[in-house]
Amino acid sequence: MLSLFHWLASTHMSIALRDSQWAFAIIEIFHLLALALSGGAILYFDIRLLGWGFTSQSEKQVARSLMPLAIVGIAAMIVSGFFMVASGPVRYYYNPAFRLKMYLFVAALLFHFAVQWAVSRRRDDRQIALPERIAAVLSLLLWFSIGVAGRAIGFV
Amino acid sequence: MPAVQHFCEWVSSTGFSIALRKSIWAFPIVESLHVLGIVLLVGSVALLDLRLLGYIMKHEPVSKIAHSVSRWTWAGFALMFVTGLLLSAAEAAENYFNLAFRIKLALLVLVGLNPLIFHLTIFRSVNSWDLSNVIPWRARAAAWSSLVLWAGIVVAGRMIAYIH
Repeated sequence: MLSLFHWLASTHMSIALRDSQWAFAIIEIFHLLALALSGGAILYFDIRLLGWGFTSQSEKQVARSLMPLAIVGIAAMIVSGFFMVASGPVRYYYNPAFRLKMYLFVAALLFHFAVQWAVSRRRDDRQIALPERIAAVLSLLLWFSIGVAGRAIGFV
Repeated sequence: MPAVQHFCEWVSSTGFSIALRKSIWAFPIVESLHVLGIVLLVGSVALLDLRLLGYIMKHEPVSKIAHSVSRWTWAGFALMFVTGLLLSAAEAAENYFNLAFRIKLALLVLVGLNPLIFHLTIFRSVNSWDLSNVIPWRARAAAWSSLVLWAGIVVAGRMIAYIH
């Protein structure tokens, strides 16, 4: 894995990103805009599971209508995040906050979208209150901890 | 505006501002809460805008979505406003001269006018177009300007840290 990060650091793209004065700022801005989009879509699915909003629609409907937005937003986060890492791969490799963030991200991605996909594939609009509320709280905690770990990358 | 500049310099000289600026943890924590506010506020606003433009939840009345997102929008606004004031106070003297900061303030005024005009005019007649496929052009214009302005605010806000 380390050699992969070293290879990435040696690419022209990575060198150009490091030398550019504005590249990192621009990529960071895209990361933030994508966060607002994906964060909003994910948050509102969890809010619906908790029964705190969009209650005029079934959970299945909300899961379906927010899915494309969540996927586009997360894809934009991954792409912009990749370029942020590419600007200093070896530095990120040794950053414990970055590693923690990646583990949490994989966990959140699998967990959240497994739940949202399952809800969107329901045959009927039935509600199962308690397990869904627990899932929503878990999802929110996971995404929130990713934000905290992400912010910590610049400080450790 | 010398008066404003003096005020900013005075804010910067207060013990509170110095403590915030010099602290290891307080500033990044306030900054993180500010970003959490972005998700709540801009995420909510974007959902309503995307509905007005017909990209999501097309079969759901606009008024119901507006009602569902409004309390989270306000919660996000409160969080952003309080943390934004703290961040501004921590570096008030520098911010006064920061072009990105000035642009951000101007955009914030515009983005505040947008929902004001929207709610006082076209949203009053929401009952007549709540479920229609073609939303009145003034509502669509409001949605586009809201999306563009909020994106501009995020851009200008992030740039504050990059220009001196």
